[in-house]
Amino acid sequence: MNTPKNIGPEDLALFAMQLLSKEEAAEVAAYVAQSDDARRELAQIQGDLAIYAHTVDLHSPPAQARERLMKQVAREKQAIPIDRPAAEEPANRVAAVHGSADESTSANESFGQLMGRGTVSSSYLTEDDLPKRSAAAKVLPWVGWAVAAGLAVGAGDLYHDRDNLYHERDTLHATVVDQATQLDHLNAEAGAARQVLDTLTDTTAMRVTLSKGKEAPTPQGRATYVASKGTLIFIANNLQPLPPLKSYELWLIPATAGSAPIPAGTFRPDERGNASVILPPLPKGVDAKAFGVTIEDKDGATTPTLPIILVGA
Amino acid sequence: MYRETGLVNSPPPSSQDDAGLLVLVQRGDQHAMSSLFDRYSKVVYSVALRVLRDPASAEDVLQEVFMQIWRNPDGFVATRGSLGGWLAVVSRNRSIDALRRKRPTESVDDIALASNYNLADEAERNNMMERARSVISLLPVEQRKTLEMAFFDGLTHSEIAEMTGDPLGTVKTRIRSALTTLRKAFTE
Repeated sequence: MNTPKNIGPEDLALFAMQLLSKEEAAEVAAYVAQSDDARRELAQIQGDLAIYAHTVDLHSPPAQARERLMKQVAREKQAIPIDRPAAEEPANRVAAVHGSADESTSANESFGQLMGRGTVSSSYLTEDDLPKRSAAAKVLPWVGWAVAAGLAVGAGDLYHDRDNLYHERDTLHATVVDQATQLDHLNAEAGAARQVLDTLTDTTAMRVTLSKGKEAPTPQGRATYVASKGTLIFIANNLQPLPPLKSYELWLIPATAGSAPIPAGTFRPDERGNASVILPPLPKGVDAKAFGVTIEDKDGATTPTLPIILVGA
Repeated sequence: MYRETGLVNSPPPSSQDDAGLLVLVQRGDQHAMSSLFDRYSKVVYSVALRVLRDPASAEDVLQEVFMQIWRNPDGFVATRGSLGGWLAVVSRNRSIDALRRKRPTESVDDIALASNYNLADEAERNNMMERARSVISLLPVEQRKTLEMAFFDGLTHSEIAEMTGDPLGTVKTRIRSALTTLRKAFTE
């Protein structure tokens, strides 16, 4: 199909962004529905828009958003699909009970097979062998068979339904077991993480610095930093005590030339000179050239005050 | 850190590709759903936040988009192209709908999307984002602003023309040109 004169590639872009009026959108939609080229171009434009959408500044959703979603997901837990086509089921049942003579015969056969009696065959008696009966007398026995066959088919359906329910129950049980296992893993992981943090931050923990010979221990610190996540753990020992209104402050020196040092937390050592800074608030993605420690006022500073007490790169 | 010490030995679910996770979601696997959320929630939320400029409304869109996946994962499988790209576009469209206070304009199946990027891979996603930002920053200011007004602010070409004083045709051409430049940069 040729492109209508009034629909150009620009319109497809506007259509993709849903910026056309209702009438214009309907016109373009009709064109797209009939043109492979237009559909291809529209898919390309959607791809372009997807790329453009990714230029947005990234923000993490609130922590409770995940919890909220998973709660709703659990509430709306999907039913496990069952293979039998549901739409055909009522029609089949109706046909089995109220169908034509042929269908009734077929149902009869099924019933016979189900009951283990073989096919109910006309070879046992021919039409001529049968006593002459009125029309009602001819039909009534078939009605009985048809009803019986319907019941049998219904029973068969129930049997299959029961099987499906058992299968569904087993699947759900497996899912629950799987999720319980995953929960155990998460709990174990969270417990281990908590233990690590508790050990690092416990003020009663014994902290020993090992050194060669009998040299007096010197102040030192160890920073562990993951730039992509903005996570930092800093542990120092042998620090000199500070006046009451002073504190040590840790600084992250960015690798980017000209970038100002970033304050990474204040701390005061305990009576044995030990201190730590665990996961201070830091921006993500800042590569560090070095870390330093200065002495600042108790509440910290926005720029470091010389001298630098500890430094490491 | 904990993996190195052997505390957790099972492979992280995030290593699965989108198609694999969607198959699990089709089976009602909530863990797969949470993996998809962890993978794409930031982009979906950020796009919604950019359009709506309101964290609570953006979170509602985030919720709505991911519940669509849960309720109808079939609509997303393979033929739709990149799930990450799809989600970004749907987040934008749902947000624009919310901005206009109107009902969602398309069903989940309505957007086919051509994409060559494996957005499930974080490194590739980050690389693509950086490249896209770089290309956009090099666009002529008029093109960049016009595309931004159309895509993120949901302004029609008529509204943009009225606001900027530019002819309608110019607005349409700028949008088209900006997208063409973006596409060329990623196909070279």
